[in-house]
Amino acid sequence: MKILLLDAPYSGSVELCKETIAYLKKKKYQKVALYASVQFVNKLDAVKKQLADNKFTAITSLADRADVKGQLLGCDNYHDSLHLEKQDFDCYLYIGDGKFHPLALVYAQKGRPEAKEVVCDDPLAKKMSLITIDDIKAILRKYRASLMKFLAAKTVGVIITIKPGQEQFRPAAALEKRFPEKNFYYFIDNVVSFDQLENFNFIEVWVNTACPRVGFDDQEKFRRGVINLNDAFLAEETLGKESVMNKI
Amino acid sequence: MKLYNPEVEKAIAKIKEVKAKIICIQLPDGMKPAAKEITDKIEAETGAKVLIWLGSNFGACDIPLGLDRIGVDMLISWGHNRFHKKAGGW
Repeated sequence: MKILLLDAPYSGSVELCKETIAYLKKKKYQKVALYASVQFVNKLDAVKKQLADNKFTAITSLADRADVKGQLLGCDNYHDSLHLEKQDFDCYLYIGDGKFHPLALVYAQKGRPEAKEVVCDDPLAKKMSLITIDDIKAILRKYRASLMKFLAAKTVGVIITIKPGQEQFRPAAALEKRFPEKNFYYFIDNVVSFDQLENFNFIEVWVNTACPRVGFDDQEKFRRGVINLNDAFLAEETLGKESVMNKI
Repeated sequence: MKLYNPEVEKAIAKIKEVKAKIICIQLPDGMKPAAKEITDKIEAETGAKVLIWLGSNFGACDIPLGLDRIGVDMLISWGHNRFHKKAGGW
């Protein structure tokens, strides 16, 4: 079977709204890390020019899972997804609508001592909004509790979705070597069937290996708690360091 | 539909190029109301049969499985470009 992917790019022109420019100036930001969803990424050159005209510097990068530079996917929410660790900048600037994509930039900062804010410019609504670590405080509190639960648990459920772009069975199986004192049970699904979780009442806590956003955005659907696979391996280290997640 | 370019002409050109007969279209939630318009246009211009994927379209990581079992020649998935999976758990 052949597969054709179509971006469905935004048809209009993109120009930062006055509110965004005014906010960046008010905060005395000089350098922004610029990203957009795939629908807007081909308009970033115009945004860069507008930023330069207003004496701002824009940097960007090719994120781990994205296909083009400056594109942001919701799953590029790991601490090193954007490869900006050695870059100095004042804030993120996201071009697009909705909160799903820019929230990835906030989740990616959960392990850092301080979090930068995400300034969002919506070309459809022609409005600016902010997303900060405060927007995910409740989720991070639950996530931290789930990390603690995982470390204490004896019986852990590992969720694996079978679509080729998602399936992570072998990396998940490495949990057994890392945590020989725990019993891991593997649950296979096409998409995560949240309504089935409670039927497996012997599971103390879940490890998600599907989209990493499931571990955060769907935290409330897991009554016994859920963490993402990468954080399972790093649980002790993550809980032990000074980070925005551990401060809230 | 007016805000985002659905690139249906591109889809039609590809269907004709590969001579696909049964197509599955997978749309993100925001484009699902346009499924009728896209289906009607593709069927009228290519003669292919279009099946509409009812389920999720989370990204290019979320390609439906098993379509070939019912003879689907081609899947057209909107709203995403190529996904670079990272092996190793994250």
